[in-house]
Amino acid sequence: MDAASRPAVVIDNGTGYTKMGFAGNVEPCFITPTVVAVNDTFAGQTRANTTKGNWMAQHSAGVMADLDFFIGEDALARSRSSNTYNLSYPIHNGQVENWDTMERFWQQCIFNYLRCDPEDHYFLLTESPLTPPETREYTGEIMFETFNVPGLYIACQPVLALAAGYTTTKCEMTGVVVDVGDGATHIVPVADGYVIGSSIRSIPITGKDVTQFIQQLLKERGEHIPPEESFDVARRVKEMYCYTCSDIVKEFNKHDREPNKYIKHWSGIKPKTGAKYTCDIGYERFLGPEIFFHPEIYNNDFTTPLHVVIDKCIQSSPIDTRRALYKNIVLSGGSTMFKDFHRRLQRDLKKIVDARVLASNARLGGDAKAQPIEVNVVSHPIQRYAVWFGGSVLASTAEFYEACHTKAEYEEYGASICRTNPVFKGMY
Amino acid sequence: MILLQSPSRFLLQILQDRVLSGDKGVDIDCHTVEFDDVRYHIQFSMRNPKVMVLSVALPLPPPEAMLYDGLPLGAIEAIKAAYGPVVQILDPPKDGFDLTMKINLTKLPPDEEQRNAVLTQIASVREVVLGAPLKLLLKHLASKTVAPNVDKLVALVHRPNESFFVAPQADKVTVVYPMRFQDSIDIVLATSFLQEFVEARRTSALNNAPSCLWSPVPPLELKGVPSDALNANAGFVTFVVFPRHVEGKKLDKTVWSLLTFHAYVSYHVKCSEGFMHTRMRRRVETLIQALDRAKSDAEKLKKLVNGGSFKRLSLNNDGN
Ligand SMILES: Nc1ncnc2c1ncn2[C@@H]1O[C@H](COP(=O)(O)OP(=O)(O)O)[C@@H](O)[C@H]1O
Ligand SMILES: [Mg+2]
Repeated sequence: MDAASRPAVVIDNGTGYTKMGFAGNVEPCFITPTVVAVNDTFAGQTRANTTKGNWMAQHSAGVMADLDFFIGEDALARSRSSNTYNLSYPIHNGQVENWDTMERFWQQCIFNYLRCDPEDHYFLLTESPLTPPETREYTGEIMFETFNVPGLYIACQPVLALAAGYTTTKCEMTGVVVDVGDGATHIVPVADGYVIGSSIRSIPITGKDVTQFIQQLLKERGEHIPPEESFDVARRVKEMYCYTCSDIVKEFNKHDREPNKYIKHWSGIKPKTGAKYTCDIGYERFLGPEIFFHPEIYNNDFTTPLHVVIDKCIQSSPIDTRRALYKNIVLSGGSTMFKDFHRRLQRDLKKIVDARVLASNARLGGDAKAQPIEVNVVSHPIQRYAVWFGGSVLASTAEFYEACHTKAEYEEYGASICRTNPVFKGMY
Repeated sequence: MILLQSPSRFLLQILQDRVLSGDKGVDIDCHTVEFDDVRYHIQFSMRNPKVMVLSVALPLPPPEAMLYDGLPLGAIEAIKAAYGPVVQILDPPKDGFDLTMKINLTKLPPDEEQRNAVLTQIASVREVVLGAPLKLLLKHLASKTVAPNVDKLVALVHRPNESFFVAPQADKVTVVYPMRFQDSIDIVLATSFLQEFVEARRTSALNNAPSCLWSPVPPLELKGVPSDALNANAGFVTFVVFPRHVEGKKLDKTVWSLLTFHAYVSYHVKCSEGFMHTRMRRRVETLIQALDRAKSDAEKLKKLVNGGSFKRLSLNNDGN
């Protein structure tokens, strides 16, 4: 059987979570934290006391330590239960920082999670829109040299998120992708499948910030949550109970009038003593997501709301694409999952756009009237892993296999071929 | 981390999620592929949220391999014995698959521990089906007999178009693997790994493990096997299994380890390659640091003076 007749492996390595699975499926097989627990006991020692005699023993101990690691939930569990392991997060803000742990992470994804032979499958990996080409070379090197993959395609995350709309409507490869993940938030305009690089905006408010904000609110109100658990509890509270409100002041009033209806309860078990504890979840339910629209309540340095950044992004794009961009604003990433997030975003953005149209009409007088601009924020149920799903859709087309870099090409030309990954026809 | 586990992580996760999710359910229809071309098709429908339809495709058997009605010998009995009333085999299987089973989650034992044990068994369907003939042979070894109506040398499929060979006797079973790899680097690494592996077996700590041999040419046991089945590029590995290796609980583990020996070696080869790259990257880093340190101070200074930043600074100062 030829590798092209098997489904491709699609891995979306996010800052917080890695989504992996096989092309053609609707959902990834695994969503697991992008983290590696490494055994660091020997890392510092090797050089320190190298008397001749035990050099060999030292060396093999170091080798064993290098082979001793865990990824994902297992890694988190290990680091909680023992001091031997240190957590390493190989990806920061969408960029791979530690190639050693990244390689180990991939190794475990392939052999232990997906349990496939990398020689048997084409691979589709994703990268953030700000990734430099050198990173792609490194990725290609690891994939082709270590894992012997027969073919590789490195796709841009927002382009995949756009392609995720493929099955629902006619595929529209022009639009703005608002990708809010765990560690990076990007606003990326795409025209006909090509990223408009100069107009990409990033903001320093991400899913992790929402979690931290909630953690802080809970702490300030004096809820009794064991400190070692508080971040994790805050995250789960966020994922289960948070929603986007339409107006903060009204929402405060609602909560005050009917606390029974709005206040939720969280109960857990203290990891150390095993005792039960409970806490109330109140205003943070809507204040958490609010930091995207009113960043000043969380951060003094960055105060531009998300919808204003989106508007600026579109305004800086080529003039002939702007209408199409406003019409197709696509959400992607876990932190856009808050209830009514897209409604709020659409309303606030429309306000800005309408005000601008009115102003320009007033300036021009009665004779030339601008056509109203359609603003559309698109939300779909698979938003949480839209990037992965887009990859799954694209990697199951015949064109994908032709767009891939093959092992033969890699051996002929070297890692530099991975620098560019052509937009292919399946994308339309 | 070095050994492959028998239950498929994905199957187990889906089953456990479904058992815990109560009565509500969503449609699931997904395909996955494991090493050696074992494919799964998993279906849940909304109408019947507690029934999973699982289809399994096995690696394409080479002509010499022993099959029985499309499935390895004894597979049907093994399924029935392992799963009891939870599983019903559908005949014929779905198009493109070798086995289709209906798994009724309402028939699982109520006790949590027992239930998890059955779910783990279901997730290990690969071992149950593909390992069935090997288990049969080794079971007879445990009771020091030879299975009736079995040839002197049996070929069992373990990879697409590849088989390994088993010579059953009453007091020992000899298992021979022709080792094949695609990539030229893999061949070299695997060959030396196998030689080390045999060497390691000789150390006293592993005295009780099955004895094992590596040879570049087919061992005597394989006399009479068609030459197509013997074109190995990383030599031949032979294990001799004795009754004590398959007593009681050891049986299942031995079956799984023998069944996935090739995957185990190939996994090791990949890990070593990754490991070597890690070391090489570290080495390059330290060499670059050493080079940097070796630069004379004069050189560093020169660079600073010529550097653009200095110039621009002075220009700006002029302008002011
Ligand atoms: N239902 C949900 N509601 C709100 N936030 C969620 C939800 N599900 C996941 N998240 C958050 O989304 C983030 C992960 O999103 P993801 O797109 O996977 O990030 P990345 O790609 O950067 O790893 C996490 O911070 C997680 O807490
Ligand atoms: Mg992401």
